[in-house]
Amino acid sequence: MRCTIVPPHILERLAGGDNPALRDMAHRTLVFSSAARTRRRTLAVRAPSPAEDFVPKRTVYDAEGREELPGREARTEGQEPTGDTAVDQCYDWLGVTFDFFESAYRRDSIDGAGLPLLSTVHYGRDYANAFWDGKQMVYGDGDGTVFLGFTGPLDVTGHELTHGIIQYTADLQYYGQSGALNESVADVFGSLIKQSHLGQTADQADWLIGQGLFAEGVQGVALRSLKEPGTAYDDPRLGKDPQPGHMRDYVETYRDNGGVHINSGIPNKAFYLAATAIGGYAWEKAGRIWYETLTGGALSAEVDFAGFAAETVRTAARLYGADAAETQAVKQAWSGVGVRA
Amino acid sequence: MKVTVVRSGGFSGIEQRAESDTASDPMLARLVDRVDLGAVPPPGRIPDQFLYDICIDGATATVGEAQLQGPLRELVHHVLGRAR
Repeated sequence: MRCTIVPPHILERLAGGDNPALRDMAHRTLVFSSAARTRRRTLAVRAPSPAEDFVPKRTVYDAEGREELPGREARTEGQEPTGDTAVDQCYDWLGVTFDFFESAYRRDSIDGAGLPLLSTVHYGRDYANAFWDGKQMVYGDGDGTVFLGFTGPLDVTGHELTHGIIQYTADLQYYGQSGALNESVADVFGSLIKQSHLGQTADQADWLIGQGLFAEGVQGVALRSLKEPGTAYDDPRLGKDPQPGHMRDYVETYRDNGGVHINSGIPNKAFYLAATAIGGYAWEKAGRIWYETLTGGALSAEVDFAGFAAETVRTAARLYGADAAETQAVKQAWSGVGVRA
Repeated sequence: MKVTVVRSGGFSGIEQRAESDTASDPMLARLVDRVDLGAVPPPGRIPDQFLYDICIDGATATVGEAQLQGPLRELVHHVLGRAR
């Protein structure tokens, strides 16, 4: 007995098949997931003037413990703090994340054209998660015994907002290797936003994702480590961090959309290796190479690790020169995790 | 009749697994009667959403948390809740 989820390539085969019921089901799924892609490709983004100051348009909603979106409007752009920790943390971290993408890469919000930032906090009861639903960010308060509130760590907000940027750019399909790249890119920029906020260079940063999410007593420092995938936690209730940091340990699974939160460890480690080899502030060079690869239009939505790696090398060569130390660092980073760039 | 639920995905990616048997769990037996795994829509690909693999006596389905409603939702939380 095996519970499976259906990968897109199988859906596509079903959609062209003979069984009418399966065909209809597959069509509905494909139509749903391609709608966002069509929107992205038909939206024209106007070019901002070099001096234009981008300003966020934030709205934080309160689900008041229900699982209904968006919930009651709690704080909008320019309003004073509410006194509700989750609402105010969320509002602040949205601002820090917005400012990071503006100052580091001249990006105006999620879509590059000033899209309002919408978040819902206090989602569900004991809800130990945060996600991006295609239109907004959603945060639970955690269960209080293993997980604390997901609005706490800045890199969680950075990660979720980056899922939005990915949707409006390369639209990396959330399954298998392209899905693990989607997760990795969200972790990379989540970490870079935190590093930039703390003013840390690559060798000073902790390279952790979700530090501060665990309640007291949990044996772990965070949920993931870009520096040492597989070492973030080892706890009787949670098990051990399952992330590989090299292709030889790639995990084949049908769960979690094909292990997107597991195999992301491999490109995560590659980014860490590139950033520390280049040195300095990681968002300035390594981050720029990844950002321009993501937004440059050359990636297919179903790209695998090797295809993504090759594109980062091309981007590095374009930005810094084919023989530059930065380009060499990117090549060596991918070979260090067993991916042929 | 054995019922297995595995939660995967979520921001943490940490898996939770639990199972129960209708022979020793009358509440589960009542829920199973109200669930039709064949009528479950395929999961959407929503970043960091929880995914639930549900197996009821050999029949299987994968459900995204956005599609998890009604008796199936009760069943999932009942089985996972017993594991805590």
